[in-house]
This record gives sequence, C-alpha cells and structure tokens, in this order.
Amino acid sequence: MTTTPGGAPSAETVMDDAAQPIRVEGVTKVFRQGPLEVHALRGVDLVVDQGAFAALAGPSGCGKTTLLNLVGVLDTPTTGRVIVGGRDVSSLSRGEAADFRLAHVGFVFQAYNLVPVLIAYENAEFTLLLRNRDPAARRQIVEPLLERVGLGDMMDRKPHELSGGQQQRVAVVRALATQPSIVLADEPTANLDSAASDELIDLMLELNRELDTTFLFATHDRAVLDRTPWVIRMLDGRVVEDGASR
Amino acid sequence: MIWRLAWRNLWRQRSRTLILMSAVTLSYAMVLAAMGVGDDSHFQMLDAAVEGAGGEVLVHGEGYWEARSGDILIDGAQTVGELVAAVDGVANVMPRVAIDGLLSTAVGNRPVQLLGIRPRAEVALRDVDADVVEGDRLDDTELRAPLLLGGPVAEELEVGPGDRVVLTATGADGELTRALFHVAGIVRSGRADLDEVLAYTTLEAAGDALGLDDQLVQFGVLVESGVEPETVQDRIREALPEGGAGLEVLTWREALPEMVGFIEIDDAFLYVYAVVIYLVVVFAIANTFLVSVLERVREFGLLNALGLRGGRLARLVLAETALMTALSMVLGLALALAIHGALARWGISVAAWGIEEIELAGVDLANMVMRSQIVVSKWVTASVLVAVATISSAIYPALRAARLAPAEAMRFYE
Repeated sequence: MTTTPGGAPSAETVMDDAAQPIRVEGVTKVFRQGPLEVHALRGVDLVVDQGAFAALAGPSGCGKTTLLNLVGVLDTPTTGRVIVGGRDVSSLSRGEAADFRLAHVGFVFQAYNLVPVLIAYENAEFTLLLRNRDPAARRQIVEPLLERVGLGDMMDRKPHELSGGQQQRVAVVRALATQPSIVLADEPTANLDSAASDELIDLMLELNRELDTTFLFATHDRAVLDRTPWVIRMLDGRVVEDGASR
Repeated sequence: MIWRLAWRNLWRQRSRTLILMSAVTLSYAMVLAAMGVGDDSHFQMLDAAVEGAGGEVLVHGEGYWEARSGDILIDGAQTVGELVAAVDGVANVMPRVAIDGLLSTAVGNRPVQLLGIRPRAEVALRDVDADVVEGDRLDDTELRAPLLLGGPVAEELEVGPGDRVVLTATGADGELTRALFHVAGIVRSGRADLDEVLAYTTLEAAGDALGLDDQLVQFGVLVESGVEPETVQDRIREALPEGGAGLEVLTWREALPEMVGFIEIDDAFLYVYAVVIYLVVVFAIANTFLVSVLERVREFGLLNALGLRGGRLARLVLAETALMTALSMVLGLALALAIHGALARWGISVAAWGIEEIELAGVDLANMVMRSQIVVSKWVTASVLVAVATISSAIYPALRAARLAPAEAMRFYE
C-alpha cells in the first residue's frame, strides 16, 4: 500500500526502499521473565509508505509500543525482519543501532521526552549536536522550526518551565531537526489535554505535509484516530486491520 | 556536549553533590595533612637520630658502638681524620673523645659522659656553645681544661663557672685516672636526656685526661646535601688503610636501626590509614553514583534512543565524577594547604599533650613540636591516587549506564 503525504493508502504497490521506509516481515517478539514467556508480537507484517501519517491503534498490551520499538531500532525482534529505509535493522549491534537511530529515526515519546538540564533550544538541537553540526548550522535549522511550532520566545526555557504540549512540540522539532526518514511517536498526546492534543496533531499533520516525512505513531485516543488518515489496528500482538480509519 | 551535560547534571541534586564533594574534600585534605605531619615528624626524628648518633656516618674502633667502651680507640687519628675529610661527599668531620666517668666535687659525685669535641666542627650538627646560659662558651674560654656542664648536673654538684671538678675514668692504658677540670659554663639545651648526662670539654683536654696519643674515640661525619650516607660510607671504607681494618664505619641508619624501623612502620601505617579511609569514601561515592544512574535510567534510555552511544553515556557518568573530583580536590588541596600553613607556623607541641617522656632508640622526642612539611612527590602521588580512586568509583555505575537497553530503559517508570 502507498499513500500520498497525509493521505489514505492507495492500492498501488511500490516495492522500492525509498517509497517504503518501513517494512516489517513476519516479526515476533517474545519477552522472557524467568519461566514466563510473553508473546508481545505474533507474526506482524506491515509496510508503511513514504510520507505516510499512520497510527497504530489498539488496547493497552496489544503490542503497539513493542512494534514501534522494533521499527525505531530500540529493540530487536525474536524472529522476522524489520527493514527501515531499505536496511535490515533486525540484528544491528547496540552501537550500530544508536548510529542508525541518529541518522534515520526521529522520536517523540509519551513522557519524559526532554533532557531536564537542557533548555528548549538545546533539547531541540541535541540530535544535530550528536551529528557534529556546527553551531551556526544548528541555529539555522532549529530556530525556524521552533518559531514554526510557536516556541520562538521560549527557546531558553527549561523543560519544567514549559507545559506538556510545549514540551511535546520541542520533541517534535528535535525529531525533525535531522530530517530523518521516519518519525516515531509513542502515545504523544497521552499526557495532554484535548486542546493541546489537537494542536500537536495539527502540527504533526502540517509538518508531515510540508516535509514529506513519514510519521508512525501509537495511540488509543479516539479523537486522534478520527483525524488520522491511516490507522493500523492491533490486537493481541497481531495487525488485525490495516487501512484508513474513515 | 558531554562536559556541559555532566556539569549541569552535577548540580541537579545540589545537596547530594555537596555532601559527596565534602566527603572527597575532607578525606583528601586529611590524607594530605596527615602526610604533611607524618613527614615532618619523620624528618624531625631523622634529625634527632642523626644528632643522637653523632653524625650521618660514624667512624670508630671496631666494636665501639656496641660496647660504648672508651678504651676502643682509633689509632693514628690524625691520618684517619685527614683521609676521611678528603673523601668525596664528606661535608664535615667531627673528631671526638667520649669518656664515661664520674664527676666529683666536695658536695658529691655524678656519673656523666664527657665528650671531648671541637665546638666549631660540631656546629653543623649541634651548636653546644649556643646552649650556654651562664659562663663562657667552650670556644671562647681561656681555661686549659674547660668543662661545660648541663644545668641539672651543675645543680646537683653545686658548682658554677670557675669552680673545679674532678673526673675519674678509665684511661687509655686501662688504669683508673683522675683529671681536674674547671667549669667554664652551664648548658641548658632544653633536652633533659642531654643536659642530665652529657658534659663537654675540648678535644685536647679530653685527650690529656685519658693520656691519648694521636688517638680518638670517634669521627662523626656529615655528608653533602643530596649524597646518601651509604655512598659516603663505602667511599670512606675504600679510603681507609687496609679497607678500614680494625675500624667500624656505620651509617646512622645502621647505628639506630630501631629508629629506622619505627619510621618505616609509621610510614606504612600512614599509608594503610589513608587507603582505609579512602576506600570507605570510594565505596560511598560508587554507591551514590550508582543510585544517581538508577534514578536516571529513563533519561539515559532517552539519550541512547536519540543516538548517544553507550560508550558516550558511560563517559557522561565518568565526566560527572571527574568534575566532582576535580572541584573537590581543588577545595581539598586548599584546605590541606591551610592546615599545613597553620601547623608549619604554630605547630603542636608533644609536651602540650602532657607527654613528658617519649624516647625512641635513645632519642628524646618529648620536646618535639609537630609541624607539617610538604614532600611534593608524595603529595603528587597521593593526589593522583585519590583522583584515580575517586573516578574509578564511577566505572561500575558508568558501565551500568552504557549497558542499558534503550527500550527497557524507556519502560522503566511506565
């Protein structure tokens, strides 16, 4: 399936890597705690197309976060393959995985998204700093983005001086600063009130359209799902529905 | 970036950081201060030992040092003295005659050790004339057989300058001999062990009293600065006729092995004390940093998720420790220098603790004033060890941070 930026998936099948930044093939994930085995994913196949704005939906414990972690190279599958930007990332070393994330993946987490000792601007430029971009280049990228998300006059605030919605917007800027091929967000609106939640989704949709960046996020917020063009429903570690929410 | 983050992280838990810094600062300062006092007291003991032995190298007849018998003599003393004085590294040669005898007056008798010396030659070791509180100095007197008496001896014998005393001792021929001396002055050195036992006269007067003929009991030798007494000892042996046969050449260390042993043991105890103190501190720091890492598991997970490699996370934790250590050591060094300055200026008198008698290897230490002395090499070594130990305490917490799986870490508080 493919989508136009921000649009619903089409029936056209495109197999090249650039057009399909996320491919998940027969992935299982088993967590072992002593004698206990928890099957978090039970054979997931998924393709997300370039420029998609897609949501993973489902009840708690259905495997949304586990799947996001695998796509974000934060974890490795028990079996199956995860291909991100054309590269099989299923068995990268920890160092290689960190480098891959830095180069290709932007993250927005549910909470504790920002480094508490860094101001908003420093948090936003953090990934550029890790990529050794010089200060002028960082400023050239980060300042317009912060202005764009309405935080132009709050750049020097510490995270605890920002509201939850403002913190998530800083995280979105940080995720986009390195122009990654995909942005992954795990319950980005879970800790926000409905107004802040709407604003964040508006912002992500706008940036998705403007930058043609692929967004994949997990949510169980009905209001968010109503505004998401492509919803992938999960249940008990499986994808049970892969299509537009409306 | 690592250092900026580390610096800010350090002050997130201000009170905890300050408590940790206090522990490092105080323990480091105490280690240095204890080292300063220990080294100074060792130097004082060394000086006292050299003074008590009579020089850094001693030349006397074979068996004299053990028997301390006045009839074990150096024959051909003038030649031996000239040979010793010509040895490379010798700074000062002090010829001596030592007589164990009995001083008598009309009032009573008192056993003494009479030292026949050349006062000017002895100045570098101990200036006896400087301790004269009454009467003439040995170097100034015109008396033919002058005698300097310690205050307690003079009081007991009820004599003063100008009075006569008779010395009874065993002469060079083994026969009992008597000699008349005139009290030139009274000595108060402040050291009871000396003032109650020793009396002084000129080398010539002592030789006349014993009937010596080109004979002496001992040459005390001081060596030049930077030259080891053992080196000079070997050279003197080589310089003496027949390799010094019939003579004994000892360094002060050989003459006073108990003192050397005590200093070595004291030094070892100081190191053990420092190591124990510091191990406690290191474990406390390791524990605190581990807690600090565990408190920030999610944050480390975030940093790792964003692309900061595990190795750099470990460096971040180590950088925090390094900054804390550096700050603490600067403060600790300042504190140690302040303690050193105060002790060097005012000192702590052993006598002030009510200790009236403390003697080691025949050397009186009761008048010792504990001060502080910096041996730079030791302070540098201690500082490097403290820095390495403190920073090493963060290795395990740093490894824990480096090994955190990002997905696990991000789930930590969910």
